[in-house]
Amino acid sequence: MKEDLMDIICCPLDKHDLDLEVDERDDGEILSGTLVCTECGESYPIEDGIPNLLPPDMRDEAPA
Amino acid sequence: MSNDTETVAGDRDPEETRKMVRERYGTIATDGQDCCGDAGSDVADDGGCCDGTEDATGSERLGYDTDDIASIADGADLGLGCGNPTAFAEMAPGETVLDLGSGAGFDCFLAAQEVCPDGRVIGVDMTPEMVSKARENVAKNDADNVEFRLGEISHLPVADETVDVVISNCVVNLAPKKQLVFEDAYRVLRSGGRVAISDVVQTAPFPDDVRMDPDSLTGCVAGASTVADIEAMLDSAGFEAIDIAPKDESTEFISDWDADRDLGDYLVSATIEARKPPRDP
Repeated sequence: MKEDLMDIICCPLDKHDLDLEVDERDDGEILSGTLVCTECGESYPIEDGIPNLLPPDMRDEAPA
Repeated sequence: MSNDTETVAGDRDPEETRKMVRERYGTIATDGQDCCGDAGSDVADDGGCCDGTEDATGSERLGYDTDDIASIADGADLGLGCGNPTAFAEMAPGETVLDLGSGAGFDCFLAAQEVCPDGRVIGVDMTPEMVSKARENVAKNDADNVEFRLGEISHLPVADETVDVVISNCVVNLAPKKQLVFEDAYRVLRSGGRVAISDVVQTAPFPDDVRMDPDSLTGCVAGASTVADIEAMLDSAGFEAIDIAPKDESTEFISDWDADRDLGDYLVSATIEARKPPRDP
């Protein structure tokens, strides 16, 4: 995920802004980290460069 | 079923529906196997939406021209659509495009060519295997202005009024709550922004065996709404200039989606266009 995506990304539940916590970065690309909703506090993982912004109940049922 | 957007084909639970759809498309992303029509043995294998193979002839029937197909690296065109929204979305350089149900990314990469160099394209898909595949295709297509994220199209992780065009190809029919999909599309669009969607619409009531068949739902058949229902949902979401145009010629490929019956008797592919009203001056 590119960092400049942050201005267009939001929490899928309440549509508020997300804070980005970066674990691993490669050039301008964020490979792993967490997006945290500034309103509800729900956190969304970034894994293999892909932000997982599924509603939490769907994230848990995701096939491996 | 006029405005009852909670009703899904066969009156299935929405969660169950989403799960079935994800499982099916996860398998397609991994194995490149069947999508539309009855899964497995009896699907006609000569192109069109159903076979999930990269078939240039099939894509031409959906409305892509040869140059479009040739311009995208192999692996993004899974042949799962029922039209070509990038052909009528009238995208311009600098615009932001959102693709609902982006799959392996074919339409996103075509859109990226239209909006480059300053525009960008965001693909949302709820199937992890599809998003992974799409991300691999970003590198193959050198598509710096395309981003994919895991998300669900009735809970879009996209900020308000940030998108110029919402495109989608044979996906909205799979959503158990279509009204929410259109409402969230409206929210993310800028004033004057538009939707340009290819999807199947129902032209006659489905027989019970089609309506109740899980494969028929996940295969882009039983979830289809009528033109009147889609118009009502778009209108209720706030859209104007709603134009839903069934493409009669699409019955040719839709008829290939099922070997046992002619689905062209019940379904047609349509272009679905609408606009979010421009802000008052």
